Amino acid sequence: MMYLSEAPPGTHPLTPVCGTGTEYLNLIVVKFFYCAFTLDTLASSALAILVTLAICFWVASRLSTGVPGKLQMVLEFLLSYTRNLVRETVSEDARFVIPLAATIALYILVANWLDLLPLPKPWFYPANSDLNQTLAMSIVVFILVQAYSIRVLGIGGFLRRFTKPFELSLPVRILFVPLNIIEEIVKPVTLSLRLFGNIFAGLLMVYLLTLLPFWVAWVPVVAWKFFDVFFVGTIQAFIFMLLTIIYFGMAREGLEEEEHGGSQAATTGHAEGAMTPATPH
Amino acid sequence: MNHAIAVAGALIAAGMALGGGAIGAAVGDGLAGNATIAGVSRQPEAQGRLQVIMFLIIGLVEAMYFINLVIGFYFVLVVASGVS
Repeated sequence: MMYLSEAPPGTHPLTPVCGTGTEYLNLIVVKFFYCAFTLDTLASSALAILVTLAICFWVASRLSTGVPGKLQMVLEFLLSYTRNLVRETVSEDARFVIPLAATIALYILVANWLDLLPLPKPWFYPANSDLNQTLAMSIVVFILVQAYSIRVLGIGGFLRRFTKPFELSLPVRILFVPLNIIEEIVKPVTLSLRLFGNIFAGLLMVYLLTLLPFWVAWVPVVAWKFFDVFFVGTIQAFIFMLLTIIYFGMAREGLEEEEHGGSQAATTGHAEGAMTPATPH
Repeated sequence: MNHAIAVAGALIAAGMALGGGAIGAAVGDGLAGNATIAGVSRQPEAQGRLQVIMFLIIGLVEAMYFINLVIGFYFVLVVASGVS
């Protein structure tokens, strides 16, 4: 019955970050000169951050080299999976991607799963149901990817990457420059919209289901809530992490082709090992 | 008056976008399931691994539909409501 009191998500995800918009329905907003701070999003993401930090510090404080606890095992699996993925998709020396991707995955996972708890509604939404939140994460990823690309390839290689089908002749490749620029810009947009759209659609679905008569509504609401949180939330956290790593891998394009032949066999070997689902023996 | 027309148009557009998006997502899910079934029938021992990949692809495919949904809502709630 707790879920039935959920308010319509309304315009919550469509908060203008900056601007003079006058309509902030269902929102707790503080205006500061030209900017607007959506306090409920800040509160819910702060809660998610606190829970993530608490879990991680708690696990870190009771690390054991013997038989690990369940939580430690899950986190170790996440970290080693991320490490393998970075190693085979990006490169051996791109170690800074590992904590970034693992943090993103864990934070999004916690933020999504918190949705299952009946948190007080005007303040706490799932943090990712605000576009500002997901866009912030994907912009950070975008900037880091570009910086990494420049660092690895140099300015020349970075610019050369925008003439992408490398095997074509030069005039044709120049024609591809606008397409490549669009492709690069679309990456953070879809990355953020994908996560946000899934979580927001979950909220919306709960609201639509509560429009049913109350004596029938709780079955689909509870079923949908579990599906949304445990299936969609987990998969979206994983996809966000995976795409982050893949974008870092794509930032090295143009470097790979010289060393492509030798590393082919090794890469596929790693991939098969990494994709095997971990079964605790 | 203009507001009503804009909202009506936005609602129709959102409905059409959702319909087209649903067709696309359904076809994409079907293709992913099809390929998974073909792979499993060829190599039954790869089922666990293929299912992980299938759910990943389904997540990516359906995300397009949800992006559609959000953009539809954006048009209804923000663009059309802004027309006075």
